[in-house]
Amino acid sequence: MNEGTSADEGTGAGTGLDPQGAAVIMQEAGQRARRELAVNQPAIFVTWALVYLLGYGTVWLSVRGQQPYHAPAGWALGLLTLLAVVALVITAAVTDRATSGVGGATAVKRRVYYLSLAIGWLGVVTMQIALRSAGASHGVIGVFTASSPLLVAGVVLVAGTAAWLNWWMFGLGLWLIAVAALSGFAGPAGTWAVDALAVGLPFLVLAGIRLIRR
Amino acid sequence: MSQDGLDPVIHAPARLRLMVTLAALPGGDHLSFTRLQDLVGLTPGNLLTHLRKLDEAGYVRTDKTGGGPSALTTVSLTPAGRAALDRYTTALRQILDVAGPARPS
Repeated sequence: MNEGTSADEGTGAGTGLDPQGAAVIMQEAGQRARRELAVNQPAIFVTWALVYLLGYGTVWLSVRGQQPYHAPAGWALGLLTLLAVVALVITAAVTDRATSGVGGATAVKRRVYYLSLAIGWLGVVTMQIALRSAGASHGVIGVFTASSPLLVAGVVLVAGTAAWLNWWMFGLGLWLIAVAALSGFAGPAGTWAVDALAVGLPFLVLAGIRLIRR
Repeated sequence: MSQDGLDPVIHAPARLRLMVTLAALPGGDHLSFTRLQDLVGLTPGNLLTHLRKLDEAGYVRTDKTGGGPSALTTVSLTPAGRAALDRYTTALRQILDVAGPARPS
């Protein structure tokens, strides 16, 4: 887009820039900057919607007939893990594309946010191991495994509102906390289905809203 | 200030584009030289020249960290620059209101 602008251009009179031309430049430059510097949230929401709808949905299919509840099939957990890893990679790539070369307060907040999520999820995995070694039942471990990552994500989103002042994210965080807290009442098998639908579908709706508003 | 009330430091296509691009960042954020160059589509030489003029006016701040090939130059809009762009936008709106449609966003 190099327009061969003269390095010596000075005043408006010297550049022949009329007010209408200036308005067009402002509009185009502003739109381009906002588009290029904004993280593509619809892509991220769709990616994670697929993790929940396909990943959690597959796990639910593998446990729905279990009486008593035992554990998800290895292949189902493997698929969920694969989808989650792919989603993390896509999230990182989409975020990096928008924030490359951007530094300062926002970049620091973003790093703290992702670090909080990573630490929280590490805590979840560690606690899962602790529950197993403490002799927790398969049902308890099932409910915990399905819902605790949501609880962490919800709390980090709500807490992150202090930094971002983004009330959409605040609402989403509250929703994730509610889903995590209440889905366990559906039982260890039902939790996977409730989480899949109660997270996957709203994420798709949010992606659509964000896409329309871009 | 020019006769029509538009700040001559800003009222040039490349510098206007630079100011608007930097203003899209929240206060306290900065852009690397290469990313800014990519966003505004200027050659490194032209970008440096225009940034120098904006820097002299106190509208942008450039910082260089490190040395050699790994040196990183960052650019940010100063509070004075943001205020100047606001004044420019207001003046431009007034001119366009008198002239007819087409307003800056």
